[in-house]
Amino acid sequence: MARYLIARLGQALIVIVLVTVIAFLILHLLPGGAARATLGKEATLEQLAAFNHEMGYDRPLIQQYGMYVQRLLQGDLGYSYQLNQSVLEAIEQRLPKTMVLSLLSTLLAVVLAIPLGVLQAIRRNRWPDYAITALSLLAYATPIFFLGLMMIIVFSQVWPILPPEAPQGFTVAELLADPAGLVLPTATLAIVTIAVYARYVRSSMIDNLNENYVRTARSKGLSERRVVLRHTLRNGLFPVITLLGMYLPALFSGALVVESLFNFPGMGQLFWQAALKRDFPILLGVTVIISIATVVGALVADLLYAAVDPRVRLRGSAT
Amino acid sequence: MSESIGLTARHSAPAGHAAAGRPLLELRDLDTDIALRRGTVHALDGISLDVAPGQTLGVVGESGSGKTMTALSIMGLLPPGGRVTGGQILFEGRDLRSLPTDEVRRIRGVRMGMVFQDPLTSLNPTIRIGAQVAEPLRVHKRVGRAEARDRAIEILRRVGMPRPERIVDNYPHELSGGMRQRVAIAMALVCSPSLLIADEPTTALDVTTQRQILELIDDLREEFGMAVILVTHDLGVIAGRADRVAVMYAGRVVETAATEQLFHAPRHRYTEALMRALPESAIRDSGGHDRLISIPGLPPDLSGPLTGCRFAARCSYVSDDCRTTDPSLTPGAHQHACLHPVPTPAGAVTGPVPARVEPAAEPARVEPAAAPARVEPAAAPVTAAPAEVTELPVLSVQNLVKNYPVHGRGLLRRTAGQVSAVADVSFAVRPGETFGLVGESGCGKSTVGRLSVGLERPSAGQIVLDGTDLTDLTGRERRRMHRQVQLMFQDSYAAMNPRMRVDAILAEPLEIQKVGDSSARQARIATLLDQVGLSRRALERYPHEFSGGQLQRIGLARSLALHPRLIVGDEPVSALDVSIQAQVLNLMRDLQRELGLAYIFISHDLSVVDYMADRIGVMYLGKLVEIGPAREVVRAARHPYTQALVDAVPSITPDRAATRDGTTIRGELPSALDPPTGCRFRTRCPRAADICTTEPPLAGGLHQVACHLPLRPEPTGTPTQVQAVG
Repeated sequence: MARYLIARLGQALIVIVLVTVIAFLILHLLPGGAARATLGKEATLEQLAAFNHEMGYDRPLIQQYGMYVQRLLQGDLGYSYQLNQSVLEAIEQRLPKTMVLSLLSTLLAVVLAIPLGVLQAIRRNRWPDYAITALSLLAYATPIFFLGLMMIIVFSQVWPILPPEAPQGFTVAELLADPAGLVLPTATLAIVTIAVYARYVRSSMIDNLNENYVRTARSKGLSERRVVLRHTLRNGLFPVITLLGMYLPALFSGALVVESLFNFPGMGQLFWQAALKRDFPILLGVTVIISIATVVGALVADLLYAAVDPRVRLRGSAT
Repeated sequence: MSESIGLTARHSAPAGHAAAGRPLLELRDLDTDIALRRGTVHALDGISLDVAPGQTLGVVGESGSGKTMTALSIMGLLPPGGRVTGGQILFEGRDLRSLPTDEVRRIRGVRMGMVFQDPLTSLNPTIRIGAQVAEPLRVHKRVGRAEARDRAIEILRRVGMPRPERIVDNYPHELSGGMRQRVAIAMALVCSPSLLIADEPTTALDVTTQRQILELIDDLREEFGMAVILVTHDLGVIAGRADRVAVMYAGRVVETAATEQLFHAPRHRYTEALMRALPESAIRDSGGHDRLISIPGLPPDLSGPLTGCRFAARCSYVSDDCRTTDPSLTPGAHQHACLHPVPTPAGAVTGPVPARVEPAAEPARVEPAAAPARVEPAAAPVTAAPAEVTELPVLSVQNLVKNYPVHGRGLLRRTAGQVSAVADVSFAVRPGETFGLVGESGCGKSTVGRLSVGLERPSAGQIVLDGTDLTDLTGRERRRMHRQVQLMFQDSYAAMNPRMRVDAILAEPLEIQKVGDSSARQARIATLLDQVGLSRRALERYPHEFSGGQLQRIGLARSLALHPRLIVGDEPVSALDVSIQAQVLNLMRDLQRELGLAYIFISHDLSVVDYMADRIGVMYLGKLVEIGPAREVVRAARHPYTQALVDAVPSITPDRAATRDGTTIRGELPSALDPPTGCRFRTRCPRAADICTTEPPLAGGLHQVACHLPLRPEPTGTPTQVQAVG
């Protein structure tokens, strides 16, 4: 187990390094540049050159990257002149809030998607299955920004029961103090996820219900309820665990849109605004954090898998 | 159907049902349909069967005959779309079809038990053995957790599970196939049912394990006083175990009788044909082999309307009335539904057909009596040393070793050990010869096959093809040489690209090897189809449109495309029904004679290898333990393992089936990761002694054995030349 973790963390490190290289290259190949973005349109060429020199932006890329990594290893993600704040601090402020949003919506999605998927599987090709399938496809095909806008129109304008804007609290506690404000962003983010999860639960449950061991369970004269809940559900939920791990980064991209839409002060909004202002240190910092989250998500999924499936034994060579 | 009659029977049933004479289970005119997308398959049509308490009923038939559907109908476990549409299932006097669902479920859980075919998938992978075994007790008898655990341990011990108090906490994947089948049996028996239904309980297991499991079921039947329905495709399995047998064909029972009577004097022409299609029926005690009597064609499609006898289209004794009259089962103890039954041996000729006449369709194809390739083994070209000098082996392997590395933990994946799949195997195959390779799963026989074809490279040892040692050749030259050796697979469907038509499948080897131009290839493909007996229309079809037997023919045609001298068949007929198996085996032997092919015939089925091979090599855990002329290896085995294999093969011949007290091996196959030192079989050998800790060499003349304490000496008179040439 410990060996497995070490091996996986080694792999994770490689992934994260590659992500920083790619992100670094892409950002620096973009036209415009940080100096112009920071100093504004009025800045003279000399001022720009001075800024670039001071920041090290006039040095060869490889050297810049070396400096970046060196600072990174010391926990220094850089400094954003536009926010006038260190990147780490900016992320520290916002990451917990995004995590609240992600966790709430994931929780909501899992709690709703599992019963829906199971219902579809045991009523396969009958009306409940068709109805849920149709709704799932609709939800899945709707762009998240459109969905969010519809939510706002319906639930805070046509039928004003919920605020259209997320709570603007500075800390997580303040955020949670205003649960009404969290409803729409969480629901918007959850709806697409429910659709995806329900599809997976459905097909996985159908596969498992056709397995021989289910027939064996029925041969023991068990009730259908026991066959489904005791024998099939656990095996049917394994793919969801993988999905949870894989979906963590996808959730972030959803958060990007949802946070902007509902003015939610999280990582997505931070990233979005940084992108508009070419705030390179922030963009890089957020990218690194997301890549870490991705890798950790996959790792957590694997560990969970091993915890619930007795056939899985974690070995160093696993990938 | 006969609803009213059935109802009367039920109402008149005595209240004290357990009274002697009343069957435990009666099926009355049972009809079962399965709704599929392409239409409704009438899987069962008017099945009537009785099972008395404590009796074993064998239900035998080929795939699609309805034997499994009968079992599943009784248990109420039909697949999606399946439904019992008519008739009655009277269990202990009550019709299961008219009882409330909860009641039926209780009966199913408490009074009946079922064991399924595939023990590897029949247990829930994520629930501990103990919990699975005790579940019926917990659910139906409301037994507490602790007591359930004790009862599970007790029943597991009863089914011969070693260390049951530890096994209860294991998960299924930690046990071998045979052990999992014991768990499944324990689970079925935990509520002491009065009926056990075993659906192909040993088909997925090795013969020695099969024997253990069948004996276990027999013992438990006596101990529990329960009735058993043994469903199987294997006539041999039934012959040794059942009291009565029902033969099914195309959704109907065509014959039912006491076991001895049925095997001694079958009446239905299908039963007769089925028995004659078994390889063991074609082996003569004098040493010769008859051509197998195959059943032409395929069973009918059960989704359409059928008139007349369902076997008529494939029957050699068919007459016009067979196609129009629907024969019903004759009354009495020995029932059959045949208009022209096999005459009873007493000589009372009842049908128009004289006794034991050769089927009309066959004589035209019967080859001359002295087929050149099938001479008495002693007279085979192997015998004299001069012959060996002139006739070089097609393939000769010397000291072949194949180890698979097992990777350890950590980033570097150091090699932690190796699986010894093939350990120092040597043999030679001569032109036109069939060399049979037998052994149980994991013995390395398939690896030898793959090495011989060049799909894998040996860890050590030589492969000499046609006098050329492949070890010294470059990759390209080696591949060129390997054209002469082709592989035939067990599952031809899986071995063909499902999106390629048959013409493309057959042309591919020619294109890859750049043989001829387009028209030459077309001509070659046409010849191939003729050789394997398929029509030209097959060319435009896709693999999924063919039956198993036809796919094996296509597979054979593909392996013949490049004019090989040797074909390695890895379980080529193991997935086929007996009647189809006979067709393919006959074809393989015809082609061998016509084309002078040599075969390496790999199979777990000793009776098939016995029929096909001139010489047999027996493998155990990577080692060749015995090699010699087929007849001698099977009938005068020298290695205890070979003898155990021979004894474990179920046979329809009563005297052979009766030798139950022969060599039995117990226990489980040791891991090839850490094989026993010395003789690898010694850990399970009944004759093992101190000397067996040293490795026995393969010694002898023509019939060699790797055993310090062979069962019998090599028959005198054979030359004492030692090694095969290479």
